[in-house]
Amino acid sequence: MITDFPNSPLPLPNPAELDDELAALGGAEIIPKALRRTLFPVITKEDVFNLMLAQRQAPEKVVADFAEAYRAYVGAGFALPTASGTSSLHMALVGAGVRPGDEVIVPAFTFIATAQAVVAAHAVPVFVDIDPVTYCMDPAAAAAAITERTRALMPVHVHGLPADVPALRALADRHGIALVEDASHAHSAKIGDRVAGSFGDAAGQSLMADKNFPLGGEGGIAFFATEEAYERAVSYLAEHGIDYGMSWVAAAFGNSQLKRLPYYDEIRARNAALLGDALRETGLFTPPHVPDGHVHAYNMYRITLHPEAVGLADLPVHAVKEAVHELLVAEGVPAREWQNTPIPCHLPFQHRDGFGNGYPFSLNPGAVRDHRPEDFPVTLGMLDSTLVLCRELRSPVEYERILRYADAFRKVARRPDAIRKLVQERDYVRPYEKAARLG
Amino acid sequence: MELFDTATVLTRVLTSGVVMSIEKSDRELPGLERLLTKKTRRSKAVLLNSRTGAIHAALAGQGIGHGDSVALAEPDAETAAFLAWLGVRVTSYDEPAAYDHLALDPSNAHRLGELAAGATAPALVVDLTGLGFGPAAAVLTDDPKLWARAERLKIFGAYDLRTMWTQEEADADLVPGVQFNYRLSPLVAACVRMALTQAAQTQSAQTRPVATSGANQS
Repeated sequence: MITDFPNSPLPLPNPAELDDELAALGGAEIIPKALRRTLFPVITKEDVFNLMLAQRQAPEKVVADFAEAYRAYVGAGFALPTASGTSSLHMALVGAGVRPGDEVIVPAFTFIATAQAVVAAHAVPVFVDIDPVTYCMDPAAAAAAITERTRALMPVHVHGLPADVPALRALADRHGIALVEDASHAHSAKIGDRVAGSFGDAAGQSLMADKNFPLGGEGGIAFFATEEAYERAVSYLAEHGIDYGMSWVAAAFGNSQLKRLPYYDEIRARNAALLGDALRETGLFTPPHVPDGHVHAYNMYRITLHPEAVGLADLPVHAVKEAVHELLVAEGVPAREWQNTPIPCHLPFQHRDGFGNGYPFSLNPGAVRDHRPEDFPVTLGMLDSTLVLCRELRSPVEYERILRYADAFRKVARRPDAIRKLVQERDYVRPYEKAARLG
Repeated sequence: MELFDTATVLTRVLTSGVVMSIEKSDRELPGLERLLTKKTRRSKAVLLNSRTGAIHAALAGQGIGHGDSVALAEPDAETAAFLAWLGVRVTSYDEPAAYDHLALDPSNAHRLGELAAGATAPALVVDLTGLGFGPAAAVLTDDPKLWARAERLKIFGAYDLRTMWTQEEADADLVPGVQFNYRLSPLVAACVRMALTQAAQTQSAQTRPVATSGANQS
């Protein structure tokens, strides 16, 4: 099968290549163009066979079996399989008791679906800044945003690192509001022995085919701590005639993939650790911070730049980042921005048409803000100074490839002169000054 | 559809390695769109992961939203509940409808073209769930703006499925409001396409006059 192997094997790294000229300046690339493609998800003969077997079962049973198997894996009380991550977040909010016009506090840095799910629940998203180290919701900022109409906190375990759940749980309890996780990046992520999706009163999680745990196309799942919350969500769907049903085709694929999820988690963790060690040696780069007791799922791997460590403190950090981005891409590392502006500055939240005629924002005008990027300085600082790897750490990323990625970062970090030259030649603007990007 | 045929289609798509709806190299979703537009003689198709997603898209595509009123054929209780959730009131059952609706299953899938020909509304909602692969639906239309708005409902940001890869705003004037992921899986799309193709072929075989030597002699 074409999905089992890359087209060609990558050669093992050669230390002498680090002394070559940068690829952007005419030197050899660390990863040649013909060898750059990464494949995801892994699809095996077992996946095919399990889909064949699923045809012979009742569709409802295939979906229910998947939901139960994954619920047990996560350790949540109850699970509701859905058609997408967005619908799972919608159901999590409903299960947690969010009602039309309520305020739900969400981080300004996330995927836009987090906030759109709040709108789907006919509620109003209230955006707060992030923690400068973890890039997840800042509990202090969340505390400052709570009003009498706040019904829930909705932290995102962004990129796969669990948010500060103890602090947010305490905050929610103090105000008698719900804690709803957006665990869409955080398959198998943990705090202690508990898995993301089981921390809050409810949680939603995307299972689309580009996630660490992929279903056969599109899918999601909502988790609930109590039967009451689960029943509230199920009744809501029936009352409003909404079809959020998951296809048995997607569920059968997920059932098959779930058996191999721990194996893939280990490969991703190995790749992240290997790359992290290499980055720390460079001075210019640091890997994602992982608090003690947390297990990062590394759906994405956000790398922070420190220009001062290589004598570039006089240059704007965003310009250094842009130059490094160019140099890395030329070497064959598909680094990305993944978001360039706070979510409240995207058009849907600037215009706030919602379901039409301003609903549901019109239910609670007091919660609505005309945000500017500068309202979220920590998010802006992070966007200025970080780059992201996505599929590049996921199985089937082979050992040779991750070693070569590490070498590409080493090679670029050795050349502050080239970075400075690029910054002087180019007219780099800050990320948020470009059209709002999602990926 | 026979189990063997479904198995063949699923295996073909899985072997391609492309199972995600926003994959650039996906061919299954465009394939189903082409089949639906051809059979219904509409120029544009929007694929969605449920009947209710399609109703939402058909209305949002026409700029009909919360607080607006529409004319429709009298909706069943489930649809009425969904319209109420959208905040759309039905004020007339006998004026030209905002959308037409038809549900396909193995017994009528071969009649898609004929059923679509009788529809006159700006949007045609086709429920494909009855074909047996899970919730699936489509909106067919000749209105490019309706199509563009409906596509924007099921993707995020200021993009559509074509421009999200270039990261350029598709149409800054076409400002999206609420957005859902109503996207259909390529695996489901491939199975639906096979079911529709087979239904048409079966019907064609049943209605074609059998040419015999005796018939030729007359």
